Amino acid sequence: MKFAVRLGILGGVFIAMFSVIGLRLWFVQVAEGPAIAEAAEEQTWLSKTSHGSRGNIYDRNGDLLVTSRLVPAVFVDRTFVQPDQKPELIQKLSSILSIDPAELDEMYEDAGINGRFEVTTVNNDLAFQISEQLSSLPGVEVVTVPERVYLSGDTLAHVIGHLGLPNDADLEERPDLDPTQRIGKLGVEKFYDEYLQGVSGTQEYRVRRGQIIDERPQSDPQPGNSIVLTLDLDLQQLVELALEQGIALSNEVKEADKEAGEDVFSVTERAAAVVIDPNTFEILALASYPDFDPQLFVTGIDGDTFSALNESFAFNNLAVSGLYPPASTFKAITYAAYLEENLPLPDADFVREGSEVNCDGELVFPLNDGSAEVKRDWYYPASLDWLGLSGALEKSCNKFFWSVGLGAWEERETIGDTVIQDWAKSLGYGSETGIDLANEASGIVPTPELFEEWAEYQRENPDEPPRLDPSRLNPELASPFFGGDLMDFAIGQGAFVATPLQAAVSYAVLANGGTVMEPRVVDRILASDGSMVEDVESPVVGQIDLSAETRASLLRDLNAVVTTGTAQAAFEEFGEGIELVGGKTGTGQTSATRDNHAWFVGVAPVDNPQYIVAVVIEEGGSGGRIAAPVARHILQYLMGNEPTAITAGDPTD
Amino acid sequence: MTALLTRIREVAIVRRNNRTDWILVGAMVALSSIGLLMIYSATRASGTFSMERQMIFVAAGLILFIVVSNIDYREYRSMVPVASGIILSLLVLVLFLPAKENVNRWIDLGFFNLQPAEFAKVVVIVALASLLAPQVSRDELTGPKPLSWVKMLQAVVLVAIPGYLILIEPDLGTAMVFGFVLLAMLFMSGATWRQLLSIFSVVALGAIAMLRFDLLRPYQLDRIRILWDPDVDPLGTGIRYQLSQSRNAIGSGEFLGKGWLAEDSLTSFQYVPEQENDFIFTAVAEQFGFVGGLVVLVLFAIVIWRLLVISVNARDRFGALIAGGIAAMMVFHVFVNIGMTIGIMPITGLPLPFLSQGGSFYLSMTLALGIANSIWLLRTPVPTENQLI
Repeated sequence: MKFAVRLGILGGVFIAMFSVIGLRLWFVQVAEGPAIAEAAEEQTWLSKTSHGSRGNIYDRNGDLLVTSRLVPAVFVDRTFVQPDQKPELIQKLSSILSIDPAELDEMYEDAGINGRFEVTTVNNDLAFQISEQLSSLPGVEVVTVPERVYLSGDTLAHVIGHLGLPNDADLEERPDLDPTQRIGKLGVEKFYDEYLQGVSGTQEYRVRRGQIIDERPQSDPQPGNSIVLTLDLDLQQLVELALEQGIALSNEVKEADKEAGEDVFSVTERAAAVVIDPNTFEILALASYPDFDPQLFVTGIDGDTFSALNESFAFNNLAVSGLYPPASTFKAITYAAYLEENLPLPDADFVREGSEVNCDGELVFPLNDGSAEVKRDWYYPASLDWLGLSGALEKSCNKFFWSVGLGAWEERETIGDTVIQDWAKSLGYGSETGIDLANEASGIVPTPELFEEWAEYQRENPDEPPRLDPSRLNPELASPFFGGDLMDFAIGQGAFVATPLQAAVSYAVLANGGTVMEPRVVDRILASDGSMVEDVESPVVGQIDLSAETRASLLRDLNAVVTTGTAQAAFEEFGEGIELVGGKTGTGQTSATRDNHAWFVGVAPVDNPQYIVAVVIEEGGSGGRIAAPVARHILQYLMGNEPTAITAGDPTD
Repeated sequence: MTALLTRIREVAIVRRNNRTDWILVGAMVALSSIGLLMIYSATRASGTFSMERQMIFVAAGLILFIVVSNIDYREYRSMVPVASGIILSLLVLVLFLPAKENVNRWIDLGFFNLQPAEFAKVVVIVALASLLAPQVSRDELTGPKPLSWVKMLQAVVLVAIPGYLILIEPDLGTAMVFGFVLLAMLFMSGATWRQLLSIFSVVALGAIAMLRFDLLRPYQLDRIRILWDPDVDPLGTGIRYQLSQSRNAIGSGEFLGKGWLAEDSLTSFQYVPEQENDFIFTAVAEQFGFVGGLVVLVLFAIVIWRLLVISVNARDRFGALIAGGIAAMMVFHVFVNIGMTIGIMPITGLPLPFLSQGGSFYLSMTLALGIANSIWLLRTPVPTENQLI
């Protein structure tokens, strides 16, 4: 090939390359040009968003708990910064605001071309100082932005919650969210976020050479709605303090026990309590310990503080998400089921006249599912002799309630195998109560059906941690659920777990005569001018048949618990009106190497219940010894007595 | 002595008889003027400084063009080793100088930043031509002489050394220019298809190796991937913004453009980043429309056409290869730069000859055209001299 020919071929390639450019130019400019021009014109409009002020949160008495104040903040609008002005701006601004220039530079770049971003909130002096220098700080604005103020500190932290920037999951769930605007991440701040959040205002304008040349009508930001809680700040403060004192008491007792040579496995660190009105299902107090100060999230929480709080479960609302075996507090429900369903006691030598059980601590019975059941009660003082239903509740006799479970199991062919579980479920165990707080746990009510599901899952997924003992997977067994499981369930143990809120709700239903409602922490939602937006009522979700006699008898016997029963020592100093309070102790066992969970669920006044108080001290020890004094302290306050010091009661079941 | 005097006289006659390629000069001046107009429109928001600075370079460039036109390009053949040594030292030097925005590309001379890679382009073209042009006289040559594999390998090494130094500055675009020029010049020198294919494979393997071993910086990858990958800069605050603003500006120019300095033009007010540098064509297409863009394309086509004509008419293969190499370099710059502004080529930071702001680049382009003009002036063989093919 001659040189000229080769050059010709090269020329042809060059022509082809130029033609591609020319054609593409034709498409962009002539074919699509007008459409692009129109879109480009629209794009030169910039918009600036200002967020509406978040609504206030009040307690039931109108005490202000959370508000928003306007604080000066420094913004940078890149539209007004010429590229060559950037280095000087970064340098100046970082020295005025004492921010690392690299960090500021990153914020600047992240904002994107023509982006606007908040650098930081500043105090008034600094705001004034910057305002004076604005002419030498292109693109810098000092504007006021709403900032959250948590007036109650760490009190009510779990109910109120805190704010944070939306994460990817939040943005997926609510695509209309502005990724730079803080939203509620916990508690009422999260559950009622859409009410609390105001409406953002926007301002649209066009900029040439750093000057605004054109503006469109703007919309002003609207403040969000305010929320009035059902909770009482004074009561809440008392409850939170009582929990802390209960934990301290538990650790004192553990220390003494350890010196006496008894087994102690851990330091008590966590506790939760709920106070609910059984007639309206309004939550009057709801506490979880440890807690945190929501203000930390406003001023900026550092990584170490956050992880330390997170690891201590400070962000977990144990009152609605902590799961504990309800233990003997559940005997009140078994009590009601026994009376309402006329459950039979078994035909055995420890049962007298079909209604009394010999509480001597040990139960031996050959079950008709083939297992020879032997159960031993760790708590059987000599005073316990032959007890009927009332005495058994008062003294928390396990053997009596085991016998109820045993009798129900022996008769399961005629009465069904889930009579007691059905009562538990209809009172709210095993499912979320529907409270207006996030992350509620549903708990577990063990039934033959559930155990079969678990067994099947376990057979199919042998590598996962087992929930049932492998011996229960034996295919020759009629069911992986045994009579002993129902007996344990009847005393609130076994695979049975529930939240403190569920325990409170179940007592509330028994106390009000059978109406099941969803609990609420919010009483009403108000517009910024104070007018009613929504009067929040606890919706009725069920009605159970409970005779007046059963209710009266239960309330009477719950009173006996605190006057002569397992909580007698704890309630010794109650003062006037002790005949009007009642309750039930509980000592939840989880394993041989963990301390027991201390429970108490109280009710007052027993002649016309207004308050249900549920207290759990996690791994705190005996219910009568540790939890009952805490509940007594709270009940003293509720009943108008001067609350007395929280001191140890008797170690009881 | 007498022979030398005769030759000097003859060369002078040849020069007098041949006139400067005024078409080439005209196109160059037209493009430079458009460049100044656009740089003014794109930077006037912050004064006329950028345009005045560029005017100095245009003046310097034209003087350089005149000087170089009057130097016998054949002298360069003996200067290749020295020139290569200087340019390689400078390319190594920049790597050890303080980086600007994380890139080692410039030598700060106070009044302007010297960018050795721009001049390396011209040096490499001359060196390649010197290597590939056979130093035999016309009479000795019988029949077409194919390119030997040894020579081809030498050519690859010659390009690869400066190419690698530039690649790690990093300046991917300029390194790519080297590859394109190498292929074009090997083809002109009689490379067989098999040879071209093997070179192409080596280049392709090199490209795959760069991707495989992360030799490219993440932002460089993004600038390539943005052509098809929506995950690059999904919020549209960086290069996607730049590309879409460029497309908006070009598209809204429509057929006749918005007019020079039009109040509503995006390129007048820095809506398009880098609009006075790599994205200068965006300003042309917006303010002067499709017609204006086409005029610029046609002016470049004229430059290329003249370079190819010079190549065909060159008195020897050395000159022909230089002119052809310069043509290939110009084409590649124009194609990649304009292609980038309209979204069909990756963003590689190649400027547009004569239009984009920048001193080193402008001077290296006028240097290249000056050499081409010298080849044109000397195209007629002098009867008494030894004729090289």
